[in-house]
Amino acid sequence: MQIKQFTQFHESPAVIAWWCTWLGWALRQLTPFRRRAFLALAALWVCFKSTLRIVKSNNLPGPADGIVAALLVALALLAIAWLLYRAAAGFSSLPLWVRKHPQLTLHSMYWGFLVVLWSTAPGSGLWRQVLAGVALIFPLLVWRFAYVLLAGQYGRMAGTRFSDHLLTLWPIYGGTNTPYGSGIGYLSRSEAKTEEELARSQLAGIKLLILCALWMVVTDIMEGVLYGPGNELTQKLGGYTLAVPKLARMLEKEGADSRLWISWASIYCELFHQVLRHAIHGHGVIAILRLFGFNVFRNTYKPLLAESIVEFWNRYYYYFKEILANFFFLPTFTQLGKKLRNWPTLRLWAAVFAAAFVGNTYYHLINLERMMVDGQVLEAIYLHRSRMFYCFLLAFGIFVSMLRQQRRGGRALASGWASRILRMAGVWTFFSLLFIWNVRSGASFTARTNFFFSLFGFA
Amino acid sequence: MADDRQQRLQALIDFLRTIQKPGKAIESVGLDESLVTSGLIDSLAIIEIVMFLEKNYGIDFAASGLDPDRLATINGILGVIEEARP
Repeated sequence: MQIKQFTQFHESPAVIAWWCTWLGWALRQLTPFRRRAFLALAALWVCFKSTLRIVKSNNLPGPADGIVAALLVALALLAIAWLLYRAAAGFSSLPLWVRKHPQLTLHSMYWGFLVVLWSTAPGSGLWRQVLAGVALIFPLLVWRFAYVLLAGQYGRMAGTRFSDHLLTLWPIYGGTNTPYGSGIGYLSRSEAKTEEELARSQLAGIKLLILCALWMVVTDIMEGVLYGPGNELTQKLGGYTLAVPKLARMLEKEGADSRLWISWASIYCELFHQVLRHAIHGHGVIAILRLFGFNVFRNTYKPLLAESIVEFWNRYYYYFKEILANFFFLPTFTQLGKKLRNWPTLRLWAAVFAAAFVGNTYYHLINLERMMVDGQVLEAIYLHRSRMFYCFLLAFGIFVSMLRQQRRGGRALASGWASRILRMAGVWTFFSLLFIWNVRSGASFTARTNFFFSLFGFA
Repeated sequence: MADDRQQRLQALIDFLRTIQKPGKAIESVGLDESLVTSGLIDSLAIIEIVMFLEKNYGIDFAASGLDPDRLATINGILGVIEEARP
């Protein structure tokens, strides 16, 4: 009980009251309006800074120099964001096709930009330089824009200003191409309205920062003890190391010269390492959101305790899963309602594969921004063949897991600790093996597959 | 009118009992409380709710669009049923 009280300190009324007293004046000043205004102003700064970095590093051909080009690209992106905001605000007056397929329209816009770029010469002038910059940055924004349109589609734009959406488009709190905290609709529902709610949210944020620091230390120890040759921290702890090679290195060597247990240790270590990495990054981002009063779900929530594949997937990278669920799974599932009403298993299969295979592959494909702008789509697909295979296996695993869960109905699983450990170990093994085709490495698809078979003695 | 709503509420509760997680009393979940965050169902149960609404109330989500948040609470689901009535 005392341990729980200690770990759940952010829920303790006494701690919340103390926080309110200690920061009373500051909490009163940090009204929701002011917090949002600060984040929106910071978004403008992030917009220009990130655009400048991307434009400079990509050296776009054209007459404008780096700063002028970045300014023009940033203005063009802000204009697109404004137009999409207006479209979402007046969603009911949009053309029927757009209202029925807002997400397809958004992605068609991106592909339209690309087609124009592919069909014009690099030195066509300033407009092309700006368009290339917009297309380069679009994959970072496309899922954020998607949430703006989704808010319009669901009639949730009332009372929202452009600045509210802006803070999610170029978030100062960080993230990846995946918008952590989804769109303003989701953030609003979790937003602290009173001083006490703000205190609760901030304490929850501080808890995540503490966890973040803890996982950083654990990662340091893990990298030293498991991977070797050790680091400053592990040298202080005696310098012992197992010297397990990183999975990426093992794959490049196809597991040659390694004992079987080392290969297996490497794939499990990779899973733990990836979970820790995700948790550290996600906790940092969500902690900042919580400090600003948006008490949203964590991105990573104890995935190693998951007892099914689908549960792990839900806990490992929550906001990426939300993208796949909102923009691929649910639309496919509902669109097939009439056609496959009598084939529920097939309907589920189609929706899961649309999300975990097609959506997942598409998300990562357009992340190769430069290749997309340069028209190297087929090359990008070929480059992604290992990840595509990973997405296929992931979709298959999630489908089977969902089907099993569905068929079990409300019946409980065996609750003994041995059964639970067995189920968790099964999930660990599935994802450890799956990461063979997902981990960043120079290894080819064949090398990865050969390594997989070598784990079972088929070298 | 009130009887109709009561019947639909009862039918919904009976259905939720078939998909809920074990060990949680449905009576302890408020009508406006999130079914997922209260721990009654997991987030995947939304597809079960969609199929229940399609089958029992003829709701076509392909035409009306599916806002998962509207299916997050008992009152939200009842609202979706209400709107779909001819």
